[in-house]
Amino acid sequence: MQADRRRINAPAGGTAPPTFTFADHPDLLRRPTRTRKPDEHRKIFLRTGIVPSASGSAYYEVPPAKPAPSTGSLVPTSSSLKITCTVHGPRPLPRNAAFSPNLLLSTHVKFAPFATRQRRGYVRDASERDLGVHLETALRGVIIGDRWPKSGCEVVITVLEGEEDGWFGEGREKGGGWGMMSVLAECITVASAALVDAGIDCVDLVSGGTAALVKGEGGEGEAVVLDPAPAEHEVTAACVVAYLQSRDEITEMWMKGDAGDSTEGLMDQAVRAAVMSRTVLVEAVKEGLKVGGDVQPVNGAPKGGEGKGKDVDMTG
Amino acid sequence: MAPYTNIPLSPAELSYLHNSLSQNPPIRPDGRSPTQFRPLVAETDILPSTNGSARICFADGTEAVVGVKAEVEQSRTFVSATGEVGAEGVLGLGAGGVGDVDMDEEDDEQTSRAGKGEETWLEVAIEIPGMRDDDALPVFLSAMLTEALLADGELKDRLWINRRFHWRLYIDILLLSQPFSYPLPLLSLTTHLALLSTRMPALLSEKDEDPLFNDDWEASHFLYPQSEGRSESQRKPPVTLLVMSVGENIIADPSREELAVADAVVAISVAPSSTPDNEMVLKTLALRTVDPPSRLTGAGVPTALNTTAGGTSLTAAEALVLREKDQGQTVWRPPRGGVKRAVITRMIKLVTEQGGVGQEVLEGLAGVET
Repeated sequence: MQADRRRINAPAGGTAPPTFTFADHPDLLRRPTRTRKPDEHRKIFLRTGIVPSASGSAYYEVPPAKPAPSTGSLVPTSSSLKITCTVHGPRPLPRNAAFSPNLLLSTHVKFAPFATRQRRGYVRDASERDLGVHLETALRGVIIGDRWPKSGCEVVITVLEGEEDGWFGEGREKGGGWGMMSVLAECITVASAALVDAGIDCVDLVSGGTAALVKGEGGEGEAVVLDPAPAEHEVTAACVVAYLQSRDEITEMWMKGDAGDSTEGLMDQAVRAAVMSRTVLVEAVKEGLKVGGDVQPVNGAPKGGEGKGKDVDMTG
Repeated sequence: MAPYTNIPLSPAELSYLHNSLSQNPPIRPDGRSPTQFRPLVAETDILPSTNGSARICFADGTEAVVGVKAEVEQSRTFVSATGEVGAEGVLGLGAGGVGDVDMDEEDDEQTSRAGKGEETWLEVAIEIPGMRDDDALPVFLSAMLTEALLADGELKDRLWINRRFHWRLYIDILLLSQPFSYPLPLLSLTTHLALLSTRMPALLSEKDEDPLFNDDWEASHFLYPQSEGRSESQRKPPVTLLVMSVGENIIADPSREELAVADAVVAISVAPSSTPDNEMVLKTLALRTVDPPSRLTGAGVPTALNTTAGGTSLTAAEALVLREKDQGQTVWRPPRGGVKRAVITRMIKLVTEQGGVGQEVLEGLAGVET
C-alpha cells in the first residue's frame, strides 16, 4: 500500500511511552518484596450470586496486602486481582445445532481494556483465548455433562484488574506470562463458585492454585513459593493446577519454565495452594446458599433463574 | 451413532477399546507397545524461499509442512523506572545464555546478547484445514509450541542483532491433511526439524550500525549451531509429545481411536540438555493437560433401560439412579474427574527418563539429513 504523504504518519517501528518517576518516591523504584511467608496465600474475597440476570455468578478479589503508600503518585505499586464470572445455562442448543449427548461447555476469558498496564483490545487476543481453553479443560472434568444432553452452557469471565507479568520498574513487558498463570488459577476458583451458584451438577468443587520456582534473595539459590505475585519475584518456572480435593485428582495442569528436578515439588505446592483457596470457596458457596434461602420466603416468589432453589436428586 | 465430536465410534466400541487398553499390558488397536512411536517420513530444506523448512508424514496419512522465515525489524527502546535504558542490558527473567553454546569465536558475542531477547520476536502461525484460526485447537497448539520454544530462553536471545535491530522469526505451520489424530506431536516434530535446518545470513556490519548481511548463503550460520563431533552436546529446539492414561496404563503417542477413550491426556515439551560428562538428558520445559475428546462421547444405554431389548421403561429419576449405580462398568460412560498426581509424575518420567520416549524420538529425528 502506498504511504499517505499528505499526513504526518507515525514512525513505522513504533515507540514506547515514557514512564515518569520521581526521585522522592523511593518506594516506586524498589521492587516490591513479599511480606507473607513462602507458603502463605494472599487473602481472597469471594462472593456468589452478584449478577441477578445470570443463572450463576461470582466475584473474586485479591486485595493488596498493604494499602498504597500515600505518595500522591498515580502509579500503583502492586496490582490487585479482580475477576467476575457469570454462567449462563444450561439451556437448549439452537435448533440448527447438531445433536450432542453431553452438556456443551464454552468458556470466554476476557481482560477488560483497563485491566493491565498495557491496554487490551476489545477482541480477545491469543493469550486470552488460550486461557479460555485451559479453563474449559479444568471445568469439563468436573461437570457431569451426560445429565444434560442437547444443551449448552456458557462461562464468561471478565478480568477487571489483572496480575502483572513482572515488576513495571524494569521498564518493558518482559513477558514470561507468569501473571497469566495466577489469573488462570483464580479464574478456575471463581468459575467453580459460579457453577455451583448456577446449580450445575459437578463431581466435586474444583479450585485453582499456583506455585512458582523463584530466585532466592540476592539472586542466589531457588525456592518454591505458593501463590506468587510476579512483581515480587524473579520467576523461573511456575505451575497451575485445578484440583479436586475430595477425589485427590487434577483436572488441569499447566507448567512452564525450566523446573529441573523440582517438577514434582512444584506440583505438590500448587496443590497446597489449591487446597487453601478451596477453604474460601467452600465458605463462599455456603454463604451463597444461606442468602438464597433467606430471600425466598421474604419475596414470596422463587428467586430468578429456573431450578436454582430446587433440589436435584443426587445419587452415586 | 456419530456424535457431535466426530468420533465415529459407538458406545460399545468405546467400551471395548477402553477395556483392551486398560489391560496389563495394554492391547493397542494397531498392535504397538505402550511406548512405541508411529513410523514417520521426514525431509528438511524443501522450500527454497525460506530460512529453514521441513516436512513430516505420519503413517496414518497426516502430513505437515513448516517454513521458518526471518525478517529484520527495528527494536523499541525502553527506559525503565531506574533510568536504565532497557535495551542496554537489563537481565531478562529467563535463564538464557547462562550455560553457553560451545562455539569458540562466537562465545563473547553469545554472552553479550544474553537476556536481551523479547518474547514477541517469535511468531507461530498454524493453519489447519477446516478450522477457523480462532478455534480452540489452533490457539492451543500455537500457544503450546510458542511457550516450549521460548522456555529455554536461548532462542529469543539469538534473534538479537544489535541494540537497534532484531530478527523477527515467523514459524508458519501448515497441516496438509485433515487432523486425523491430535496433530500436536506431528506439528512439534516438524517445527523441530525446520528450526534445526534454519540458517541466518552472516552479519557484516558492526555494533549498532544498520545491519548489513553477507549475501553468500554459504557463509550463513545455523540458528541452532551444529557442532561437528558429538551430536549429544548440541543445543536443539524442544519437541512436544502427547501421553495419555487409561486406568493405570500410560500410553505414548496415542492415535485418534485411543484418544477417544483416554482418561487424561498430557502434552509434555522436552528439550535435550547436556550434563558435564556429555550425556544427553532431557529437561521438561512445559506441560499442559489436554481436554480428552472422550469427555464428549455419548454414554451407552444399560440393558435394563433399553425397552427394545426387554428393559422396562423407568422414570427419569429411576433411570438416573440406575446409570449412576452402573458407574460405567457394564456400558460406556464418558470419564469424569481428573487424573491422580502420581500418574502425571509417571507420565513425565516416561518421556524424560534415560532411554525413554523423548530420547527415542530425538534420536530418530537426529537421523534425518539436514
